[in-house]
Amino acid sequence: MINYIKKAGINYFYFLFAIVLIAGSFTSCEKAVAAKENPEQMRIYGESEAELTAPPMVPRPVGNRAPTKLIINMEVVEKEMEMSDGVSYVYWTFDGTVPGSFIRTRVGDEIEFHLKNHPDSKLPHNIDLHAVTGPGGGAESSFVAPGREAVFTFKTMNPGLYVYHCATAPVGMHIANGMYGLILVEPAGGLPPVDKEYYIMQGDFYTEGKNGERGLQAFDMQKAVDENADYVVFNGSVGALTGDNAIHAEVGETVRLYVGNGGPNLVSSFHVIGEIFDKVYVEGGSMINNNVQTTLIPAGGAAIVEFKVDVPGELVLVDHSIFRAFNKGALGILKVEGKENPQIFGGKIEEKAYNPTPLIAAGTVTEKETESKPDLLSLAQKLERGKTVYTQNCFACHQANGEGIPNAFPPLAKSDYLNADVHRSIGAVKYGLSGEITVNGVKYNSVMPKVAISDEDVASVLTYIYNNWGNNKTEVSPEMVKKVK
Amino acid sequence: MYPPKLFNIISIMKNLMIVLLMALILISCKTETDKVSEVAVLESKSTNELNKEIPELSVYNLPSTWTTQNNEQIELKDLQGKVVVMVMIYTSCKAACPRLVADMRNIERRVNKSDLKNVQFIMVSIDPETDTPQRLKEFSIENVMEDDHWMFLRGTTEDTREFAAVLAVNYKKITPIDFSHSNIISVFDTRGVMVHQQEGLGVDNEETINAINEQLKSI
Amino acid sequence: MRSLNFLLVGLAMLLQSSIFSQAVPMANIKGGEFVPLYGTKTTVKVDDFKMDVYPVTNKDFQKFLKSNPQWQRSKVKKLFADESYLNLWIDDLNFGEGQKANSPVTGISWFAAKNYCECQGKRLPTTDEWEYAAMASQKQADAREEVSYNQYILKWYETPNTFEKEIGSTFKNYWGVYDLHGLVWEWTLDFNSVLLSGESRKDSAGDNSLFCGASAIGATDLMNYAAFMRYAFRGSVKANYSIKNLGFRCVQDVPAETI
Repeated sequence: MINYIKKAGINYFYFLFAIVLIAGSFTSCEKAVAAKENPEQMRIYGESEAELTAPPMVPRPVGNRAPTKLIINMEVVEKEMEMSDGVSYVYWTFDGTVPGSFIRTRVGDEIEFHLKNHPDSKLPHNIDLHAVTGPGGGAESSFVAPGREAVFTFKTMNPGLYVYHCATAPVGMHIANGMYGLILVEPAGGLPPVDKEYYIMQGDFYTEGKNGERGLQAFDMQKAVDENADYVVFNGSVGALTGDNAIHAEVGETVRLYVGNGGPNLVSSFHVIGEIFDKVYVEGGSMINNNVQTTLIPAGGAAIVEFKVDVPGELVLVDHSIFRAFNKGALGILKVEGKENPQIFGGKIEEKAYNPTPLIAAGTVTEKETESKPDLLSLAQKLERGKTVYTQNCFACHQANGEGIPNAFPPLAKSDYLNADVHRSIGAVKYGLSGEITVNGVKYNSVMPKVAISDEDVASVLTYIYNNWGNNKTEVSPEMVKKVK
Repeated sequence: MYPPKLFNIISIMKNLMIVLLMALILISCKTETDKVSEVAVLESKSTNELNKEIPELSVYNLPSTWTTQNNEQIELKDLQGKVVVMVMIYTSCKAACPRLVADMRNIERRVNKSDLKNVQFIMVSIDPETDTPQRLKEFSIENVMEDDHWMFLRGTTEDTREFAAVLAVNYKKITPIDFSHSNIISVFDTRGVMVHQQEGLGVDNEETINAINEQLKSI
Repeated sequence: MRSLNFLLVGLAMLLQSSIFSQAVPMANIKGGEFVPLYGTKTTVKVDDFKMDVYPVTNKDFQKFLKSNPQWQRSKVKKLFADESYLNLWIDDLNFGEGQKANSPVTGISWFAAKNYCECQGKRLPTTDEWEYAAMASQKQADAREEVSYNQYILKWYETPNTFEKEIGSTFKNYWGVYDLHGLVWEWTLDFNSVLLSGESRKDSAGDNSLFCGASAIGATDLMNYAAFMRYAFRGSVKANYSIKNLGFRCVQDVPAETI
């Protein structure tokens, strides 16, 4: 009896224990889930200095790492650099480049941001990171005079690609001088891996002189207020991504571009000539669009574009507000190398002439075409046609009224040579003429190339010449022209 | 002894020499010229040598003299030995200063009664022209801040500007009766080194209380 | 008797030299009224005053340090100067190799500048006095509307290392004062009357919890961003800062009758 009770008791005990265990695991699961989804509750593991890179390179992906404490050291430097050939500009920069260094973090990281202002700087500066949840994006807490350092902390709460920029008054001027960059907050687990990643940032610049005016150019506030940019460039200068500075990829690789737009004013219509974006993280957020040709990047915004390169060649990155690309510098090159793929892009397979109307002098005229035309033109029609042909072919040398050019080209007006022998004249037009001749008592020794026009046109132009400028008014017919061999 | 004329000349010269000597002393530059009284300057020179203990970062390095609401003259270093909680206001301020005063009172309430004798709550006027000692006294009565641990100070316009610069308090006269100023409450340790600042109105004073209690431990 | 005479004369000469040992040329500035960039939209009155024609040089400051050792780098109290104080000088009494005797002295804190002026029987200019004198071009007392004048200043903002230039290398303005623009920023007596939070976007709206009173940075002329930037600079520094681009000059009050 007692044993039975004991056994039952023990079973009951085990049963209770099991229930408590299961209940316990559920509640701790909830906490763990909450921690996973709420960045504020994510635990921090370790501490390290962030790897920062100069454009167009980016730091290594965060991959699967846990949130950590990242120490970021950034320095503001005011320096003169080249904007374009022969044109220089005093840029205000984060870490000496425009755009400033690329910062790569993950959601839930605790950032300790050290902003230093070089003692040589004239002005105080600060930083507003769009990834910061807090007043001014950090601007208030990072305001530094030259020769000083400010430190502030924040936690990355949202994944995405964010702009950072200086926010010291006058803000427009600080941004216009190049004080912007990108900070990437990768989601837990990191972004899906790709083969190549690059950092590109568009900006508009306003100079006192016109685009291309040489020398050190000063910033022009009025043009900036009017949004009348002189230069619109990727990565701070014309040619920052062309020639030796072009970025590279191999055929078959997936390329991801982190594209920002520092502004200060213009919105970018970002397009890669020769490619289609397989994926666009719209506005740098979590929404993904596919198969996009041109994507909008707001001023003070960003986007991530991904595409697989299938054929070799030079892909051209542009702001498709096209005058900015070709006249103001918003142009970059992505060189793709590797094996051709004729199925995807066959390239040019043939080139030939295209001649919808044989009356125009180009290429050969076949017999067939001649026959299909009306046989004879009237004198009036010949004169009209002849004038046109004359203007197109003869005017240059023999001049508007057939006066020719002394010592160079013989006159056609009242020309004894012309009037003496019509067949000889036809021959000159059809087959050319060289050697010494005497026209109106003056010797000429030059070369007249043959005029490649139809027999009808020869007839028309000679009729025109013979019926003008005091010549003997011969009418030349296509039969006569055909007969001259 | 001497002929009268010569005696006169000698006495005149003696006087002249004394005057010249005094002038020379005054011309050579000291740490901070105090326009309030030359006597105080000479005194502070000697006491400075005595108090070599004052740390470099201490505000007691400023030799300026101030007047309290009870018309007493004190130098800042007379506050040594107590934890000091300080704010800069002006009595005719209608906007923020009443709130700053309330913030000071909230802090005072949270300090243990037994510790109050070791804490000095000080309100420094940025409008010394209007805020005479009498005015400050009236203000202290209006605001029920007559206990010994409350103190109101005013100094010269220049000393006020300098003191504010040390505290990094910015202020500007914007009309004949109004000032614009930053709202900062500062805590100093017993030797006058600033250990904490609270900026803004109605700010959570937890950290300020902690700072005060931390310093009280050393007494 | 004779020796007493000589003694007296000697003393008198000593007196003279110690008063006038650091005599610098000063210009007379006739007072007036103007609307400064910040704060009230009403005019501010500036009394007549005298202003140093040039900023204080390395040579001037060196002399000051010899007779005032408490301001030498190794001896200055940390309350009055930060770690960058005279950090380009070789030692307490000698400025750096790259620095010129006649370049403006920089890397000095407000306390040091203030004391230097007081030692000369002068003082630092108020912000209003400085701005009043500085709004002059070569020909006009108030050139703030002149485009070329503003452009000159803005160009200077973009030119690096102007602190290496020597005094007198910019233009002589209407009052006969040189180098208010083009060399270095300059300390003013009440630089801490600029109320900026460092968050400029908020400043334009005015934050009443940080600043009591009309804190709004109501710039009377938003396009006058040349002056705007000087105020922004003043708002970013504290009295003990020592900055490479920041120097000073002194002014002196004038008894009303003399001008």
